Amino acid sequence: MAGNVSSGGDDAFESLLKKETASVEQRAAAERAQAHDTQSDQRMMEMLSHNQTLPVTLSSVQIHGAKHTRRSFLDPLFQPLVEDSRNANYTLSDMLDQVGGAVEKLQRFDIFHPQIVFHLSRPSHLDPSSSPTDLDVSLRVREKSRLLLKTGTDLGNTEGSAYGSMLLRNVFGGAESLSLSASTGTRTRSAYSAEFGTPIGSNPNLRLSIDGLASSTHKPWASHEEVLKGGGLKLNWASASGDRFQLGYGGMWRQLTGLAPGASPTVRGDAGDSVKSAISYLFQRDRRDNPMLPQSGYMIKTVTEIAGWGLLGGDVGFSKSEIEVSGAVPVSIPGLRGPSGVSVGGGFRAGLLYPLPLSYGMGGAAPSRLNDRFTLGGPTDVRGFSLGGLGPRDGADALGGDVFAAGSVNMLIPLPRAGPDSPFRLQLFANGGRLVAMRNKTKSNDTASGQLMGAGTVWDGMVSATKDMGTGLPSIAAGFGLVYAHPVARFELNFSLPLATRLGEESRKGLQVGVGINFL
Amino acid sequence: MMASVTQDATSSRPRPPGPSGWFTIPAPLARLFKKFPLLTYPPNELPARSPGTTHVATLYVFISDKDALEGLPSYNPSCLRWQTYLRLAGVAFLVLPSSNHASPTGALPFLLPPTRPNDPKSPLPIPSSKLEQYGIDHGLDNGISKLPELSSARLEAYESLLDHRIRNAWLYHLYLCPSHSALLVRLYVAPVSKSQAVRTTVLYQLRRAAESEILKSTGRLVIDPEAIYNGAREAFGALEAELGNKPWFFGSSQPGLFDATVFSYTHLLSDKGSGWEDLRLTHILDEFPGLNMHTLRISQKCWPPS
Repeated sequence: MAGNVSSGGDDAFESLLKKETASVEQRAAAERAQAHDTQSDQRMMEMLSHNQTLPVTLSSVQIHGAKHTRRSFLDPLFQPLVEDSRNANYTLSDMLDQVGGAVEKLQRFDIFHPQIVFHLSRPSHLDPSSSPTDLDVSLRVREKSRLLLKTGTDLGNTEGSAYGSMLLRNVFGGAESLSLSASTGTRTRSAYSAEFGTPIGSNPNLRLSIDGLASSTHKPWASHEEVLKGGGLKLNWASASGDRFQLGYGGMWRQLTGLAPGASPTVRGDAGDSVKSAISYLFQRDRRDNPMLPQSGYMIKTVTEIAGWGLLGGDVGFSKSEIEVSGAVPVSIPGLRGPSGVSVGGGFRAGLLYPLPLSYGMGGAAPSRLNDRFTLGGPTDVRGFSLGGLGPRDGADALGGDVFAAGSVNMLIPLPRAGPDSPFRLQLFANGGRLVAMRNKTKSNDTASGQLMGAGTVWDGMVSATKDMGTGLPSIAAGFGLVYAHPVARFELNFSLPLATRLGEESRKGLQVGVGINFL
Repeated sequence: MMASVTQDATSSRPRPPGPSGWFTIPAPLARLFKKFPLLTYPPNELPARSPGTTHVATLYVFISDKDALEGLPSYNPSCLRWQTYLRLAGVAFLVLPSSNHASPTGALPFLLPPTRPNDPKSPLPIPSSKLEQYGIDHGLDNGISKLPELSSARLEAYESLLDHRIRNAWLYHLYLCPSHSALLVRLYVAPVSKSQAVRTTVLYQLRRAAESEILKSTGRLVIDPEAIYNGAREAFGALEAELGNKPWFFGSSQPGLFDATVFSYTHLLSDKGSGWEDLRLTHILDEFPGLNMHTLRISQKCWPPS
């Protein structure tokens, strides 16, 4: 059984092979070192490290336990390994790197349990085709349960909800996933969604998904309920450095309905149906150390959407771009060793909605509708204002705007006795923003809603709206509070006072609770 | 006790009049709160699609953009009924194209009273069920007749002719009659969306709704077009007999809501611009010259040719 090598290879390697199998548990780098504390394992590691430059060839890769996974899905991951090992100067360390890389890829598909056991062995030398440098690699994987059912409650951005979801993993043996979910909540009356996603070319960084959605959401800040039905196609990819990209198409039938008795004429005017057919592009770079409680690093996110233009069709035409930047720097306190847990952070968001003509634009562009415009304000963006509290208002309704910019600065300080490692922080903040709607200066006083604007009118409107942003100070609020960063969401309890507002904007004086994932 | 206290707290929560929703604020804090915001700028301007402040009431109806600008008759009988009634009553109002989603009752029409500038509250809409009173309150003194002496049983009998037989014929004629598909799409489906998928869905929903309305009204299991058209002929005949040689129904000196209701169907059926392909219902109406004269009289009163 033992490899009885007559020529080549040094003693250490022979003794390694006499052990027949080397088992290396592949885990996160930090765990990896700790996991093997037994002496034999340590010796193994030493032997491996002493033989890093040893020339080897791979004769076979075997994967055990992948019962429901297609061979055609695994082949593209491991075929290159076998082929590369034919190179003249292929060494043990190259091989370990490559196997490690492939294992890491396997883990990212979310179809196997993270503990993937890795064995090295010599092929039986009775096989005449084997060469002295040949090694066999075998991986033992454990497939995750293919069906995952979940029910629970969620706290999202300013809403609580109950949900039930079903996730089917590895549907066709190629890490495809199908997820179905239904939820109901305080604001989302009902939501049903389905998504089917599949990696392309066995690449965990490239994923195509198709999704469908039917939902009904209560929007009390504008006295209506929005019913959505639609679907889309998305291509997600990620760069090696972790930057995320997404190109998508979505078609959505929107109904603005269920108006409150006191709904304003503007909301009544926009009630009814519209179809949005849009392509979108998303880029996100997240280099923060902890998204819920950033102490250092930065994040950039941009979203661009083009609706209704050219062949897209639908009822609304516009381009909508949004950028979000945030970052934090740790502050060291003189005389204190190690991280102090004190940090200063800031965030900035801005967006622009530019009306475009539908299809190829014979009649001009229509002004934006309520459900396409930006809203601003609320405990998770501009604190100290109620949800949708900034921007133009008709009666009690927040109408949203076409141009916005908002920024915040905050300082996080650990609680005196809890220290920098606790998820609690005291927060001092000041934030502000401006949300402005484009108005049509040439409009006549009566039924203007159906009127289309020429390119020049749109441009003038946009320029004057952008100028409006700069008149006076932005609407500002400042305050202090307590932050609790749970791994799932961030909770804030703040006391704040408005410093500058526009007449009609809904600021909050006193306490405000914020629950969310993404804070300004 | 606890329950009632929390209920009070929650019931006061939606849209508190001031910026703060807290029950009692300690006096020093209240003094502090009063100083903020330190700066208040004039309000933001409304978006381009906002109607802004209107000085006259607005009636939300089914109508094309172009007709709305000129205040022409709506193509929907229920909307035209109230549009005619308010015009007869001498109420000043604008018409605005809209959809059922905008209405407080889920169906057009409804009236939105004029807005007052800088009012933090929007005016409450007036559903069609309260428009008769609105016409009396806001119209000219002798614009409309109130029919006080008429026995309600007799009025109800004639109203049921309109609400059942004539309405069923209207529903069948426009929604289910295959030759009016294009017309139905133009009036009620195309304004909803440009998307073909949405149009197909809406067309299907409209037809199913019309079918179930007719079946509910006739109490039968299938629709019999012949019976529906004959029912309409009998109903028009009964109305013609009631009208006789009088200018308005029930012998009143001024046209009233009932006249407006009859007009809402007879005008749309006899108007050349309505776009009927199948003239069956128009020809039935033509058998009753009295009704046609009545239609002309109302038309001239409300939409005098310029």
